[in-house]
Amino acid sequence: MTEPSISDVPMEKPKGMPSWVQHLIVFAVFIAIWEASVQFQWVSALILPSPFDVVVAWWDLAIVRKLIWDDFFVTLTEVLIGFGFGAAFGTVIAVFSAMQPTFRRLVSPYMVALQVTPRIAVAPIIVAWLGFGMEPKIAIAAIICFFPIFINTLTGLMQVDEDRMEMFASLRASRWQVFRHLQLPGAMPVIMAGYKTGISLALIGAIVGEFVSASVGIGVLIQRFSFQLLLPQAFACLIMLTVMGLTLYGAASLVDRHVVFWKHDALLAKISRRLRTRYADLLSRDRSVQAVKEPV
Amino acid sequence: MTAQAKIHDLNGASREGASIVTGHTVGMEFPGPVTALHEATFGIKKGEFISLIGPSGCGKSTLLRIVAGLLKPTSGRVNVLGSPMVGPRPEIGMMFQKATLLDWKSVLDNVLLPNTLAGSVTKADRERAVDLLHLVGLRGFEVAFPRQLSGGMQQRVALARLLNSGAELLLLDEPFGALDEFTRERLNLELMRIQSQIGATIMFVTHNIQEAVFLADRVFVMTPRPGRIAAEVEVALPRPRTIEQMKSREFTDTAFNIRDTLGGFI
Ligand SMILES: Nc1ncnc2c1ncn2[C@@H]1O[C@H](COP(=O)(O)OP(=O)(O)O)[C@@H](O)[C@H]1O
Ligand SMILES: [Mg+2]
Repeated sequence: MTEPSISDVPMEKPKGMPSWVQHLIVFAVFIAIWEASVQFQWVSALILPSPFDVVVAWWDLAIVRKLIWDDFFVTLTEVLIGFGFGAAFGTVIAVFSAMQPTFRRLVSPYMVALQVTPRIAVAPIIVAWLGFGMEPKIAIAAIICFFPIFINTLTGLMQVDEDRMEMFASLRASRWQVFRHLQLPGAMPVIMAGYKTGISLALIGAIVGEFVSASVGIGVLIQRFSFQLLLPQAFACLIMLTVMGLTLYGAASLVDRHVVFWKHDALLAKISRRLRTRYADLLSRDRSVQAVKEPV
Repeated sequence: MTAQAKIHDLNGASREGASIVTGHTVGMEFPGPVTALHEATFGIKKGEFISLIGPSGCGKSTLLRIVAGLLKPTSGRVNVLGSPMVGPRPEIGMMFQKATLLDWKSVLDNVLLPNTLAGSVTKADRERAVDLLHLVGLRGFEVAFPRQLSGGMQQRVALARLLNSGAELLLLDEPFGALDEFTRERLNLELMRIQSQIGATIMFVTHNIQEAVFLADRVFVMTPRPGRIAAEVEVALPRPRTIEQMKSREFTDTAFNIRDTLGGFI
């Protein structure tokens, strides 16, 4: 189902120093040890470039020669389009499966096959089919991120509470209404978790595709620099991928927060305030049938 | 139009004193086979408050779901308001132990769910929903969300939603069973007050003898294996009911009578 993410791990509230100061200190110590291990030749500089070298390499590639931006945006485009396809197919097929028991029964063996096959292994085949442009990378990204999105959406839609189902039945809700007002919103937290996993997987897919065969993309650069033993440059590209991954995941989390707003007290308070303004007239009316006591 | 007026309109058709629900040898057999309900024959008059009591597994929920039209009995027949049950109906509403609110809807929108499902929510619907929220004691919580409310308040929202459905036969399956003693007592008193205001007919499932007697005009005592209505016990206490009545001779006699009927089953 949903893969756990480090952001789901409970963190203690920082004591004493503010959290960001603590993070800064840890980061500084980490960089210092890394730099020292290269400076004092605990590790060969050929194997592990120093942080300083990495920054210099990044500055040269990104700012001075502006070499990596084209590749950066090619990779980003592959990820976004691939994710779009994976999410669309995953969601639609999951919705059909949830609504149609026969369809669900018939597709489930293929989904199991897809789950147990290392999906990365399709990369060379896809490249053989689609050639050397962006298309195979998009397809690989889509295939890799399809599965968690499909499975999360399906399980989310299937796990409806029996009592709520009966309540809807007693209100004579149609199947569509049950889906629209109960199943879908109820599944949204799980569906969004699938999208969050999916966007990270789409990035993996695009890079794998680039490794197999490509002429542009951050994956291509990392491979090329590594072959040429230009490790500071390879590390600089890696950092670009970290930044891309963080941005994508952060964006997905932001969307998640607003879609699944009811899990966040701060957002609820904001929405309540907005509703209070919108319904000001309605709420100020005083036609209560009988004076009421304090609610329990 | 206020909640009160609407429900009186709906009631206009049926005469005071006439049976609104009748069951004739109603039986339910689940595959197994489990006889969840055996030959239940009963009648409920308009405006009556019926408590269903019995140990768990004696078929209380099954009987309620049959009357709600959510479950088709395997034998016998049920009539509600003069016509046989074939499925859920707008005159019949149900409430559960869990509040079954939609976490993503405001309290107001939860109460308006019956309107939403009926196709449209008008300004008048909203006003009526606000009135009902006042009626159940939730003034000031209209734009709150379910997770911001206590268990008792969530059940109040569920009750307001039930009343908003326009149902005149209310089926309550241990509605306050998950709440603490004090909250439950208070909600029971308010339920009786609301019933007297809107004139609804209520079937109320509980496994607490005191509660069953305190609320009801009549108590259906149910026993398991097979689930059946073993006795119908009249509660001759005047209304409005007060906590003090629980100390009366009539109350304790009735409660012990029910206890005896349940006999070896508790
Ligand atoms: N859907 C079902 N399928 C099979 N057995 C059921 C089903 N619903 C209820 N039962 C059985 O019927 C009996 C009565 O259940 P129920 O009406 O829920 O009892 P109560 O509400 O009094 O605790 C129990 O033995 C229960 O296991
Ligand atoms: Mg039950």
